[in-house]
Amino acid sequence: MRRLLARRMKFHLLGAFVVSVGCATLYKFIVAEPRKRAYAEYYKSYDPMKDFEAMKAAGVLECAPPK
Amino acid sequence: MANHSQFGFQDASSPIMEELVEFHDHALMTALAICSLVLYLLTLMLTEKLSSSTVDAQEIELVWTILPAIVLIMLALPSLQILYMMDEINEPDLTLKAIGHQWYWTYEYTDFKDLTFDSYMTPTADLPLGHFRLLEVDHRVVVPMESPVRVIVTADDVLHSWAVPSLGVKTDAIPGRLNQTSFIASRPGVFYGQCSEICGANHSFMPIVVESAPLANFESWSSLLSS
Repeated sequence: MRRLLARRMKFHLLGAFVVSVGCATLYKFIVAEPRKRAYAEYYKSYDPMKDFEAMKAAGVLECAPPK
Repeated sequence: MANHSQFGFQDASSPIMEELVEFHDHALMTALAICSLVLYLLTLMLTEKLSSSTVDAQEIELVWTILPAIVLIMLALPSLQILYMMDEINEPDLTLKAIGHQWYWTYEYTDFKDLTFDSYMTPTADLPLGHFRLLEVDHRVVVPMESPVRVIVTADDVLHSWAVPSLGVKTDAIPGRLNQTSFIASRPGVFYGQCSEICGANHSFMPIVVESAPLANFESWSSLLSS
């Protein structure tokens, strides 16, 4: 029983730290990084004029009605 | 605009909003780390059978002082970076004045001659098919895409707030005061927002619609409206 509390506390404090860093890492690699990549991929081959023409044809723009 | 049951931000349509979304991910990740740590320790304490008669724990005191300080610095640095980024002098190509009234917006394009109009919400009964309830207006704010736009926001009567989430803009409209904000619409499209400061009975019914288009289309729209 000698130093039992100290041992358990040290073990669980380390465990808590590992769990929290693990949660943060999971969030980073499941949500944050894919989102950054999605934005980068979207704008890598983005053609604003093509997008604009599609919106114009669909009739969603007040300043550029479809002919 | 937001979908029903949407939890997160709308897709960013300006560089500042992209930075804000990234910062939010960073802050949420930090919050998740802290919450999971607290939850773990809480569960442990609630299931723990041993009692403690600790009187002194210098090492852990040092850890739980230094660690939060580091976490706060990790949050503050990107936050201040974005704050200063928002205030950069960016030589706007267009200046637009948005004046809040009860319960509509007036837009003045003073760079042009006689380009001023009011923007009222389209009543639900008059909405064409496919349009968005409580979000559409009779006259939209048109801006050129990929150009810095400065918006000067004020109000005529009570407090309002000019907000367009997708562009990362929210600026209070205060009577007797001019507040300045700026944005760059990264792509063409239609961006919706709503008044964000309680202003009376129809506070929820004075939306904002910003339409971004190529410069040529913006110019033909502005000359059509000015004439």
